[in-house]
Amino acid sequence: MRFAPLDLARRRFLGRMTTGLTGVALARLLGDDLFAAGGAPHFRPKAKQVLQIFCPGGASHLDLWDYKPMLEKYHGQPLPGAETEVTFQGKNGNLMKSPWAFAPAGRSGKMISTLLPQMARHVDDMAFIHSMTSRTNTHGPGCIAMNTCFTREGFPSAGAWISYGLGSLNDNLPTFVSIQDLRGEPPNGKANWGNGFLPAQHQAVALAAHQPLRNLVRPAEISTAEESATREFLRQANAAHASDHPGYDELRARMAAYELAAKMQLAAPEVSDLTREPAHVHALYGTADANPLKAAYARNCLLSRRLLEQGVRYVSLYCASRASAVDGLLNWDAHKTLKADYERHGPIFDQPTAALLTDLKQRGMLADTLVLWCTEFGRMPTHQDGTAGRDHNPDAFTTWMMGAGVKGGVSHGATDDFGRRSVQDVATVYDFHATVLRLLGIDHEKLTYYHNGTNRRLTDVHGHVLERILA
Amino acid sequence: MLGLLAGVRAWAADPAGITFFEQKIRPVLVEQCYECHSAEAKKLKAGLLLDTKAGWEKGGDSGTPVVLPGRPEESLLLRAMQHADPDLAMPPKQPRLPEATLADFVTWIRMGAPDPREAGGAVARRADKSWWSLQPLRPAEPPAGAAPHPIDRFVDAALGPQGLARNPPAAARELIRRMTYDVIGLPPTPGEVANFARDFAADPSRATEALVDRLLASPHYGEQWGRHWLDVVRFGESIGFERNVIIDDLWPFRDYVIASLNADKPFNRFIVEHLAGDVVGKDDPAVEVGTAFLVAGPYDDVGNQDVAAQKNIRAATLDDLITATGGAFLGLTMNCARCHHHKFDPIPTEDYYRLRAAFEGVTHGRRVLATPEERARFAAATAPLKKAKAALETEKAALDAIIDARAKAEWAARPPTRPKVDPQLTEERFAPVRARQLRLVMHASSANPRAAGGSRLTEFEVWSAGPDSHNVALARHGTQAAGEKSTTAEDFAAAYGPQLVNDGEYGEQWFIGTPAVLTLTFPREETFDRITFRNAKGGEVADDKFRGATPCEYDVQVSADGREWRTVASSEGREPWTPAHGVERVRRAILTAEERRQLSDLASRLAAVERDVKAVPPLREVFAGKFAQPKERTFVHKGGDPLKPGEPVVPASPAVLASAVAGYALPADAPEGERRLALARWITRDDNPLPLRVLANRVWQYHFGTGLVDTPSDFGFLGGMPSHPALLDYLAGRLQANGWRLKPLHREILLSATYRQSGGFRPDAARVDREARLLWRFPPRRLSAEELRDTMLAVSGQLDRRMGGPGFRLYKFTQNNVCTYFPLDQPGPETYRRAVYHQNARASVVDVLSDFDFPDVAFAAPRRLNTTTPLQALTLLNHRFTLDLARALAGRWQGEAAAQVRQAYTELFQRDPTAVELASASRLLTMHGPVALGRALLNANELLYLE
Repeated sequence: MRFAPLDLARRRFLGRMTTGLTGVALARLLGDDLFAAGGAPHFRPKAKQVLQIFCPGGASHLDLWDYKPMLEKYHGQPLPGAETEVTFQGKNGNLMKSPWAFAPAGRSGKMISTLLPQMARHVDDMAFIHSMTSRTNTHGPGCIAMNTCFTREGFPSAGAWISYGLGSLNDNLPTFVSIQDLRGEPPNGKANWGNGFLPAQHQAVALAAHQPLRNLVRPAEISTAEESATREFLRQANAAHASDHPGYDELRARMAAYELAAKMQLAAPEVSDLTREPAHVHALYGTADANPLKAAYARNCLLSRRLLEQGVRYVSLYCASRASAVDGLLNWDAHKTLKADYERHGPIFDQPTAALLTDLKQRGMLADTLVLWCTEFGRMPTHQDGTAGRDHNPDAFTTWMMGAGVKGGVSHGATDDFGRRSVQDVATVYDFHATVLRLLGIDHEKLTYYHNGTNRRLTDVHGHVLERILA
Repeated sequence: MLGLLAGVRAWAADPAGITFFEQKIRPVLVEQCYECHSAEAKKLKAGLLLDTKAGWEKGGDSGTPVVLPGRPEESLLLRAMQHADPDLAMPPKQPRLPEATLADFVTWIRMGAPDPREAGGAVARRADKSWWSLQPLRPAEPPAGAAPHPIDRFVDAALGPQGLARNPPAAARELIRRMTYDVIGLPPTPGEVANFARDFAADPSRATEALVDRLLASPHYGEQWGRHWLDVVRFGESIGFERNVIIDDLWPFRDYVIASLNADKPFNRFIVEHLAGDVVGKDDPAVEVGTAFLVAGPYDDVGNQDVAAQKNIRAATLDDLITATGGAFLGLTMNCARCHHHKFDPIPTEDYYRLRAAFEGVTHGRRVLATPEERARFAAATAPLKKAKAALETEKAALDAIIDARAKAEWAARPPTRPKVDPQLTEERFAPVRARQLRLVMHASSANPRAAGGSRLTEFEVWSAGPDSHNVALARHGTQAAGEKSTTAEDFAAAYGPQLVNDGEYGEQWFIGTPAVLTLTFPREETFDRITFRNAKGGEVADDKFRGATPCEYDVQVSADGREWRTVASSEGREPWTPAHGVERVRRAILTAEERRQLSDLASRLAAVERDVKAVPPLREVFAGKFAQPKERTFVHKGGDPLKPGEPVVPASPAVLASAVAGYALPADAPEGERRLALARWITRDDNPLPLRVLANRVWQYHFGTGLVDTPSDFGFLGGMPSHPALLDYLAGRLQANGWRLKPLHREILLSATYRQSGGFRPDAARVDREARLLWRFPPRRLSAEELRDTMLAVSGQLDRRMGGPGFRLYKFTQNNVCTYFPLDQPGPETYRRAVYHQNARASVVDVLSDFDFPDVAFAAPRRLNTTTPLQALTLLNHRFTLDLARALAGRWQGEAAAQVRQAYTELFQRDPTAVELASASRLLTMHGPVALGRALLNANELLYLE
């Protein structure tokens, strides 16, 4: 009989716990609930934490990372074989070279856009995946596909899967934090960091330098004395209730949740308090930049480092937001005026992100932290009919990884001469996440969760680890 | 059959043991042992493998198991780790592992060393057509037994062999609390509890029957059980995907569900209405609304020019319908057969496309739901108004024709003297003028000869007179630009604003609003003789489609004081954008006073008629789907790819149930509505065992917390096996005998001794069946998100019990192409309705509901999760909702502290406080006031958990 012998031992184990729990034990008590964890690690983990940087809008591989000399050479001529191709917004014009020159950087001599002079300093630590492909040419589905491997909403994001598989590393902060841009949420918003059908504790908690954790702060009208008297009364009431109801661990778990919440109330404001950082660190990131969007993003970069330092397992950091009535205004979706749009977005992204990488490296945090850079798809090498921008291109885009377990200064895969399609060692979001999980010690085929008839995986039924970029 | 499952989901047999292994044991083995003791070891040491269960069972070169389940002190693995023997200390050349780790291994071995790592994995198994759930219902007689109630005899028959027996009956308070929440989703009032306790003491059976009847007759029953059904049918009130636009006219479906359950509508009819209400209930809105089921799921409405993408989007849209239908009514995961034959159930991929053929003509959208009388009334009310409007329009057209004829003649006599406005750069020169303000009054744009609103400008420059001419309009010069804008981005206040025309950059555009006037205020008086403007986003765009329209008819005016304005330049003399623009320009100049009066009179009369038209209540549109005869045949998609058509299929019954249920097959070109009706009739045939089993199981699940099958929308191979198969068929049979009505089944279940037993915990029974799947006790549970919120409102006297109508929102909704939902910080009394009336938008997060596991309705949620998180604590302690209700609660208490505490416990928990509680609560109340006590009690576990 499959249901009869239940989790006696664990319950006994938990039953011994009283109030003197350590934080991590508390987190476990809340975290494992009735669901079996995914069984990780399956391999020796190389990374313990993840920093994911996401530039929504379809950040152009051709204007940032993927150098295409043929595109410069054949600028203004038709893309061979694709004269009448129709993409997301309609017809396309001739090939259009990048408005920015590319220049070699680092010891590896990697060619990188001069739009990103500061990021160029990190190329020797990066592993580029130039042959990414997406299943969709639409922003919302594309963003969630990059985060969940599914183009429709309702699936757990990678951060949620990792929280489910590996649990918490700290005793007073969330496991998974999503930091949105000052300009708002990315396309498809919360579906990018949701728990999907996984238990709710695996969803990201939204937090940013400009946006404190929701409901964290005690209401102003309640004094410290009232708060502690209330909590003590509540603790006693719940303890008495729990002892009247033996065999019901949830009651104790909820008491533990209140203790954790109290710890979080102390820890979260502390980790978010950027004034604790010295002036030279602020200067490195550019938190006081005259451009308020850049300064806001820089503060979020700095916050990311502080969260990672405090043991947050997975930090998702967004640079730009969703689609607006004007393409390219709020994010990297440069349909019509690539140059003007990226002259806005490039500088917001470049210095703060580069500073964050420098800072992580200097502090030795890259030994445990895996850094990911993502976007939902790439852009066309041609200009969009009648404009000076590029349409969506799901057939080719670039992502990169660096840090724990990743080989630096290498590239995986390649696009064709013009960057229209990925042609060599073509990679998918499934491969990307299979690799991320591997670096965290997880076999992507073994981390599963039963939902509505299927044992679901982050990588659906696909995915191959990109072995070449593993250190 | 039970044995099959062991290999599929090893952990299901012992989830705690496997969890413990995964969390505590496996990481240590991987980190510390695999390097030398695994298949991947460079050099395997001592022939010992620790990466499979078989490895430690076999042992190393010594040939004896290194782990002896249950006997840690004799297990070689542990002895080595404990460094008990200096010659065998593992891991080698390292200090002992931490004591906590060693203790974990002791615990693990004592638990029996649960280890899911079967060598090679279980052999893949799958169900065939003999799978239990696909078989006809077996008429089930209750087994023999002492209990008079049939359900109890089934339950006892399963308990007996395990040496278990049911608990004694629950006490009156426990029972009425459990039943009231269960049936209507609200707490009983203190008076109801007291009355019931009195009646129960006199005659428990009669009191309980009376209670059951009262609750099932309550209109709140439909709210509680309707909410369950809305979970099953993935009901959500925004479209999801990228744009996630809110849907404001789907709530009639929610009301229909509630009303249908309250009326105890036979469920087979209910199902038919879901799939084909428009066919069986044509012109009856109360029936037609059922088809909203088809379109209540998420869909992608982003326009896409790419044909392959369009086909994929359509396939995904129909997949939602097929998934919802399979799950809700049949308990089959039809969607798993989209790309290939189902991997675990006998569902061929053709079955998936047979269902698709039934839905091929369905699109998301709204349609008018009205009776013939309503349509006639509407026509009668609007016809005279339409006629009056037409007459006025004719009159105006005649007048316009006279004026236009004059204007055209005049226009022909005045050929243009200057070039057209150039969107890239237009210049006007005039005699030097000194002024504090300048404005551009725009009359027309390149898109509209009669108005300039909606057009755009990138930059507007004013050039100083004299040498070193420079732009005095720049913001950095101190000049302020003001004007209306035609669009906003709420989270980016500066977007699209007039300040973009004097920022010195040719990037962003001002989206010109109405009135179309740009006013520049200089920091001081300036002397200038020239203006330029351009609409050329980024200076690169050559195409009007992307650049938007450009203002092309205008006056440039100046003022010293902002009251008196003088025109210094205009578009006069320029070649007009089109001849129509030219005529319109002349027309503005030649209107006589009488014509002006007539035009203005006509305009106001037209406006009045239009107001009257609007005042007629429109026929109700509901988001209930639109139907059209499919233009193309339905094909199997090879590998699920709509670009790879395979064999054609016709609208027909799925073959998976062919041996149990008579099937049907329609011609390929069968009328659209008939396809859905045929499917609905087939699903609800009395010989179709699945819908009845699935429905009976859902009813059981919502009463007891877990279904007899614990995967309520999956009765296939990967789903759970029934804990009481005969009971399930008995209940399904009862449902059928009762004409597919739920209330008699509820009554039968609620009156069973199994339901009425106490929730008391017995360690001996728990050792055998911890979760009480065999029902030796009534399983305790946490309130659902809705029950919690409704309870907080009810106990504080704030619950607004109005039923039906448009929902309330706990978020602020904004739309700028895509939609965003921000949770409310200050929900007011307008949100104090039952949570079932919340307008649940997809991918929105709202406090309390989302925190307590209200699902994101991207999918059906046939079973809610139940989590415990610190964020729940933060919300319930600190959100304004709790504080407002604590205040309302405290405001109702009167008298001495002790009296107030008694009222508090009575209202919240329907009982008196104990002496200890009285003392501690009085202390809190005296020290910090009644609101503090209210806040504490609203957070108490006792409010949230039910036994």
